[in-house]
Amino acid sequence: MRIRSLLLAGLLAVGVVAAMPSVAHAASGNHAEEVFECVEEAIEANTRGNRVDYTGFEHDLEDCKKAKSLVTPALPEIIWGGLAFLIVLAVLMKFAFPALKKGLKDREDKIRDDLESASRAREDAEAEAATYRAQIGDARSEANVIIEDARADAERIRREVVTRAEAEAADIRERAQEDIRLAQERAMSDLRAQVTDLSIGLAERVVERNLDRDTQVALIESYINSVGNETR
Amino acid sequence: MTAERSKVDAYARAILEIARAEDRVAPVEDDLFRFARALEGSEPLRVALTDPQLPLERRLAVVDELTAGKALPLSAALLGMLIGAGRVNDLGTIVDRFVELAAAAREREVAEVRSAIELDDAQVARLAEALGRATGKAVEVKVVVDPSVLGGLVARIGDTVIDGSVRHRLDQMKAQL
Repeated sequence: MRIRSLLLAGLLAVGVVAAMPSVAHAASGNHAEEVFECVEEAIEANTRGNRVDYTGFEHDLEDCKKAKSLVTPALPEIIWGGLAFLIVLAVLMKFAFPALKKGLKDREDKIRDDLESASRAREDAEAEAATYRAQIGDARSEANVIIEDARADAERIRREVVTRAEAEAADIRERAQEDIRLAQERAMSDLRAQVTDLSIGLAERVVERNLDRDTQVALIESYINSVGNETR
Repeated sequence: MTAERSKVDAYARAILEIARAEDRVAPVEDDLFRFARALEGSEPLRVALTDPQLPLERRLAVVDELTAGKALPLSAALLGMLIGAGRVNDLGTIVDRFVELAAAAREREVAEVRSAIELDDAQVARLAEALGRATGKAVEVKVVVDPSVLGGLVARIGDTVIDGSVRHRLDQMKAQL
């Protein structure tokens, strides 16, 4: 609808503009006559009373020339041109400007919407970025907590291992000392047994050497006497 | 009573009956007792008499050789019977049971006395009397010469042991040390 209005306004403007030169041209045909009339009037006016006012005549000529100047057109041109302009302006104001205004408004709305959308998107992006940053912060905090926990666990395990190792070492040391003590006792016991065996063996040899028949008989008699005294 | 102990008892009673029939209980007791103690103290003799590779005749010849002139032929024959029956390892137990049965028949307890030297009859009689007083029973002494006692005597009457040997004193000293 808006495009159609624009096209229509454009066509009208083109038609008006195209029509205006012909009107102007038609007007310009009369213009020559008007210039001649102007010059004649200038001659007549400046030659009244048998006196020729050259200065005024020059001024009038200048005025007549001005009617042909592009910069300072003649009055009809100005009128036609102004009329055409007003028509075009009216047409434009009637058809084109509303469409243009509406287009501009739509454009402005669209740009505003785009800007708002962009702003919203930027805000959303910032919010999301903030969320991400918060999540990253949380993740870092969590990672720090995990690392701290891991360190604490490692330290605890290290202490436990050290404690256990120390306990085992103490146990091993204690067992070793106990083994040494037992070995010493065993060695002492063996030594004592060997000394005893040697002593008893020596005593046996001494006894055997000293046990002659008389001693044997004395021992037997002693046994008989002692058993005989144990009356039941 | 286990089957093995029943067999030991049966052999002992059989020997006692044979000795009684021959009226040689006391000498057979002495002969078998001495042989049993000798067998206990001699591992080569025990190995020789239990060697299955050695013919029975050869093993009996060993017995005859050891008992010749020192024991009654009846005693040698009884030993041959036990060896032929494969009872060498039970011989000491059978003889001990036979001695016990014989002593019981005489209403006496057997005292097995170990000494480093031989005892004369007077010493044996006084020892039997002393052991009888100590145990309150009529005791019959069987002497075993055992150098390992070193000196003094060891008497075993049933489950009672009266040890007065030098070996026992040395063992006590060793235990104290």
